[in-house]
Amino acid sequence: MKGVRSAAMQILVPAGSMHDLPTQRGMSNVISEMTLRGAGTRDSRELTNALDLLGLQRSMSVAVYHARYSAAAVASKVLDSIPIYADIMQRPHMIADDFDASRDLAEQSLVGLDDDPRTKSLIYLREKHWPAPEGLNTMGTAEGLASITLPTALEAFSNTYHAGDTIIALAGDVKIDDVVQRVGSEFESWKTGPKISTSAVSNGTGVHFIEQPSEQTHIAIAYPTFPEMTDEYYIARVSAEVLSGGMSGRLFTEVREKRGLCYSVGVSYGSLRGRASMLGYAGTSNERAQATLDCFLGELRRFSDGVTQAELDRAKIGLKASVVMSGESTSARAGAIASDFFFLGRPRPLEEITAMIDLVNLDDTNTFLKANPAGPFTIVVLGPKPLEITASI
Amino acid sequence: MALEFQQHRLANGLTILGETNDSAHTFSAGLFVKTGSRDEPTQVNGVSHFLEHMMFKGSDTIDWQAMNRIFDEMGARYNAFTTQEMTAYYATVLPEFTARSLEHLGQLLRPAIRQADFDTEKKVILEEIAMYQDEPSHRIYEELMAKHFANHSLGQSILGPAQTIRDLTRTQMKDYLDQHYGPANMVLSVAGKMDFASVIELAEKFYGHWTGPVPTRAHDEQLQINQDVRMTDEKLNRTYVMAMTPGPGSQDPMRFAARVLGDVLGDSEGSRLYWSLVDPAIAEEADFGFYPHDGVGSFYVSIVCSPENTDRSIDLARKILAESRTGIAPDEIERARNKLVSSLTLSGEQPAGRMRSIGGQWLYLNQYRSLEQDIDALASVDSKSLSDLMERFPFDPMTIVRLGP
Repeated sequence: MKGVRSAAMQILVPAGSMHDLPTQRGMSNVISEMTLRGAGTRDSRELTNALDLLGLQRSMSVAVYHARYSAAAVASKVLDSIPIYADIMQRPHMIADDFDASRDLAEQSLVGLDDDPRTKSLIYLREKHWPAPEGLNTMGTAEGLASITLPTALEAFSNTYHAGDTIIALAGDVKIDDVVQRVGSEFESWKTGPKISTSAVSNGTGVHFIEQPSEQTHIAIAYPTFPEMTDEYYIARVSAEVLSGGMSGRLFTEVREKRGLCYSVGVSYGSLRGRASMLGYAGTSNERAQATLDCFLGELRRFSDGVTQAELDRAKIGLKASVVMSGESTSARAGAIASDFFFLGRPRPLEEITAMIDLVNLDDTNTFLKANPAGPFTIVVLGPKPLEITASI
Repeated sequence: MALEFQQHRLANGLTILGETNDSAHTFSAGLFVKTGSRDEPTQVNGVSHFLEHMMFKGSDTIDWQAMNRIFDEMGARYNAFTTQEMTAYYATVLPEFTARSLEHLGQLLRPAIRQADFDTEKKVILEEIAMYQDEPSHRIYEELMAKHFANHSLGQSILGPAQTIRDLTRTQMKDYLDQHYGPANMVLSVAGKMDFASVIELAEKFYGHWTGPVPTRAHDEQLQINQDVRMTDEKLNRTYVMAMTPGPGSQDPMRFAARVLGDVLGDSEGSRLYWSLVDPAIAEEADFGFYPHDGVGSFYVSIVCSPENTDRSIDLARKILAESRTGIAPDEIERARNKLVSSLTLSGEQPAGRMRSIGGQWLYLNQYRSLEQDIDALASVDSKSLSDLMERFPFDPMTIVRLGP
């Protein structure tokens, strides 16, 4: 990338939550936490100190398919971190003391979820909408975490940390030859393993109520749309932007600005490999929750009537501007390259994405919306009282 | 990446700050107004934030739908935020929309405040207040500020109490607008790909006719007594603890040392609190940091843990603070400095990040600081600067608030 001094790296290891055994859900969180507690010749403290000394802005999280390790800093420091990450992936210590603490932390995060009703409603939505194991809560379950032992954790580590479907992406002030040389020398002898397989089971539907004495009622709604690699993908993305892009998006305008029903409302495009859904959320006070749900669903149903040229133009320029802006951030680019490589088998240049958005026109969009009305819906209501669903979902 | 800074002052007092970056792909502009919840009389507490929302409801010439629509027609990334001390409105666009974005920001800051829009938006504000009631970390922060700054205007909530919002009238809001949105009480900060001379011309055209007074901000005395407040909520599973103690303010030269200390003691990984509390899983989260304000500042400690580990966690955190006063090792400082420099470098690569930093800093310092100046200031922090800092701010007195089942 030109005009930057930084670089960002993202390493995707095929140790995501979908690989947890049904009796050990939450395992991926425990083992990924353990990998950062000592590796190679460094103990836990020495490892953290070495990464800190390079000044790395970093994070680690467990997603559906992969455990994701991110690091960004001045470019030369990111290259210097590659041998340290090679230790973390291939030679973590995984000792008993760290096992206990890692499992305790995973259990604490799960208990804390009840204090965060918004996040809880969205996690529950994915569980009800998407098939297991991809849709399941990446944090696992209390029973699953309780059943994990150090030997089973070591076995899971051995099965999921390998070069098969591992992706290392860098973006920024780096040269590909330097990256290949460093990664090659550090990772070439790493064992490989099976490729990730994805579920073919169909989505769930229905209305689900979780009783919780929260201040607001949290409404989460999902329905299927078209994934990457399909012809309809860019039309689906642009039309999602009409619904919920900017502040002139349909949902923000109708639910919040016209009626003042809530502070937070919107939908976002969420995807698994081979399937995608619109995932929506609105949080509102309990007495106005029914009106909010009715209005939200009404707007989604009305969407098949089509969009105007002006709406389409705004959606396209909005998406294109986000693409250009992501080109100024090394972290955004490293993340996008890694994700593209996993979902599409190749990274897309920014110019390709903007050109594809340009091709979306009004006739095709309205034909698409008529042929693909929103639904069938999965609806989650979290709050003190259930809500009525007036028409079929 | 050569960054060039220029500034200009319009005849009506509006200051324009620009940092040109020829390799950027975007242009980012923000109007930063020196007003927030600490500048509000108690009977209108919350008006700054409510007014920020009303800006998006249209001016005398365009309605609320056009206000949002025109930003979206540019593909702008735009928003606004309100703090205790500033209210900012900003948009990042492709360079071809430079003129239009500046014109539209001008429309944004001249709100009509129509009664019907005011009544509808009041409901949205009340929803926002209710939303935060479902977030324990927000509740505890508000309570801590209210207690720690009990005799200081910084103790007022940004959103305001729900009843004050219900009682607020359109006339009160108009009066507040007239008193606080004069051009000399704000700055225009621009960054990215641009021609600064044409930005000045556009600013003159769109904002040159604005008038209004410059309000003065009261700098009250801070109440400093030890308090230990316990709030219970049966619905919660975890206990949330937050504590506050005096630290340097936004203008204080010790603020750079305070940033480094925050990282040494409280970064989410590799800090002293991390090793004592999170690594052994006594707490799920443990954070120490620095909240600088205008003329006054604080250090804070924040902990999330199980109810049974609460006392132990607080005792450990106190012990770490006490021990740190006996000295911080040079290698700890070096690691913290390197992380902070990376963070500055990364945010400096995006015009939106520079626009915010330049505009926000000006309201406190009346001065431009380049990325290099900030990096150099961090690089000069050493063991002695940290000892001096803790000598002056010894983590005592301390206000503690706990919220749990």
